[in-house]
Formats: sequence, C-alpha cells, structure tokens
Amino acid sequence: MYNSLTRLQNVFGFFTTVAFVVAAIIAASDFAVPRTPSASLRTTNVQVVKGRPHYYSSKKEEYAIIRFSLDADLSSLFTWNTKQLFVYVTAEWSTADSIATQNQTNKAVIWDAIITSPSSDHLARIGPATLKKLRKSAAGKSVDPNRGKLSLKNQRPKYQITHPSGKLANTDDVTLRVHYNVQPWVGALTWNQDTTFALWQKMSQGVSKVFALPAVKKKDEAKAKGR
Amino acid sequence: MADQLLEQAREVVDGQIDFHGQRLAELLATVLLSVVGAVSFLVGYALQDIELALKIGLGGTALTFLAIVPPWPFYNQHPVQWLPVGGPSISSSHQDIIVDEKMLAA
Repeated sequence: MYNSLTRLQNVFGFFTTVAFVVAAIIAASDFAVPRTPSASLRTTNVQVVKGRPHYYSSKKEEYAIIRFSLDADLSSLFTWNTKQLFVYVTAEWSTADSIATQNQTNKAVIWDAIITSPSSDHLARIGPATLKKLRKSAAGKSVDPNRGKLSLKNQRPKYQITHPSGKLANTDDVTLRVHYNVQPWVGALTWNQDTTFALWQKMSQGVSKVFALPAVKKKDEAKAKGR
Repeated sequence: MADQLLEQAREVVDGQIDFHGQRLAELLATVLLSVVGAVSFLVGYALQDIELALKIGLGGTALTFLAIVPPWPFYNQHPVQWLPVGGPSISSSHQDIIVDEKMLAA
C-alpha cells in the first residue's frame, strides 16, 4: 500500500471478492422464495401435412402442425433476481417400431417465448412503442405480479415437427408438455423440476392429454366433406 | 530543470505514504468495501430492486477508490524519522568489526 498503484490494485482485488460474495448471497436468496407454477395445456387442432416444412427442405416430407391452448401461472418464478423466463412447449412421443427403436422418446419444441422481468425489459426484442407500453404495465414495480401469467387460445405453433424418417402420420401416444427455464441476473440456470425441493414446487399439471397424429391431410378429402 | 519537473511528477503519480498511513489505508479499504457490499445487498433486497443494488455497489466502490488511492495528507501524518547520514557520530573508530573471530581495523 506504499504507492498509489499498489493501493489501486489492492482495492480492486478486494472489490472483486466483495462483488462475488454479494452475488452469491443474492443467488442464494432465491431459495427463500417459494415457487408455485401451474399450467393447463390442451391441443385444439392437429394436422399432418405432406410438403416442404422449411425453406431449406430438399424433398417433401410429412410434418405436423399442432395448435394448442395454454393457461399458465408462472408469476411465482419471478424474483428480484430474475432476468427473464424462457417458456417452451414440446410434443413428445416414443417410437417402438422395431427392437432398434424401442425406448426412443421423440421430443420436439413447437413453441417458445421469452418473458422479461421489468429489470430487463430494455433487452427484449421489441420496438420503442411496445417497450413504453410494457414499462407502463409494470407501473414502476421491479417485480411485476402479472408477468408469467399466460393465456394462449388456439395458439399457432412456431415450429413444425418432422421426423428423420419423413413419416409422421398416424403416430399414437403423443403428448404436449410445457417447460420453463428461469434465467437469473446472478446464479445458476434452473428448469422445471420433476420433484418438489424445499420451497420450490414442481409444476402442477402442465401435460396435455394423450392424442394421436392423424393421417396426412388430403385436399380432396376436405372438398369431399363438403365443408 | 526537466529532471526536477519529472521528479515532481513522479512523486505525485507515485503517491507514497508513511507506514501508519498504509495501515490506515488497508483498514479503510476493507471496512468501506465490506459496508458497501452489505448495504447494496440489504437495500436491494428490501426494495426488491437489483438495479439499485448494482448502482449502490458500483458507486460505493468508486468512492472507496477516491478515498484510498490518492495520497491524501491524512495518510502522511507520521513520516519516518530517518537518522542522519553516517551514524550518530561521524567517527566510527569505536565500532569494531569482527569477522571470523579476527578483529579488523574499522
């Protein structure tokens, strides 16, 4: 500490230590807040189409478009340390055609969204007018109780599902499941849990009823039905 | 002349302080930064605002730098009293130098 440079170095060194300890305490404080997520999920319209699902698809294949309704209350996941919440819906089914494909679980994401907390609204991918509206909705609060409450009706999926075999029609035992990923300002990433841990409960429901992917939709069929 | 200017500049940038000042600087740095850390967490937690916690933390740290790094006068209140050059008396004839059990002339 005998000259200015050493004092600068020492103070900076201790500052990084203090910053690390404070960040660790902030991350640990999340465990004191209970998590009570809940969701109900159901399909509203399922179609299987034969065509090119992506702009880069080189040949025609069967792909599924699964529209769904989701009512969720994930607001308890937001704390002062939450930067944003990543919510996504997956469709899952298992294939057991042959010995080789037994026990294979297929999972594909059909929809996702990023929900920012008021402290990170400036990072959301929205224009200035929408940002103003979003900030107003939070009404100056740093933790907004309305964030995380989702009510999607007959939501069009973001992504279509394909299978490497190119065939998807008439698949049984498909379910939709909603997941979340809490992204904090400081601390570890956490996902939806399978079991309850202290104050953090696992999501109640959040899985849809089992449904089947129908046969490939034919244009003639729709006309023939006379709709 | 340039040498003298350079020497002055070097002294300012160097910022040497005496030993008591160094002890005070170390103590002050530890206490200030610990308090800043505690306050930033407690205020942020009470108001549930992490942005505020960050601002308090960084602002307090900047103040600490300002208080510790420059050689303020209160760090130089106890300058070292150096003895005069050559020892307490000019003649060192009664300082015997003994090497390998043989006395050498001083």
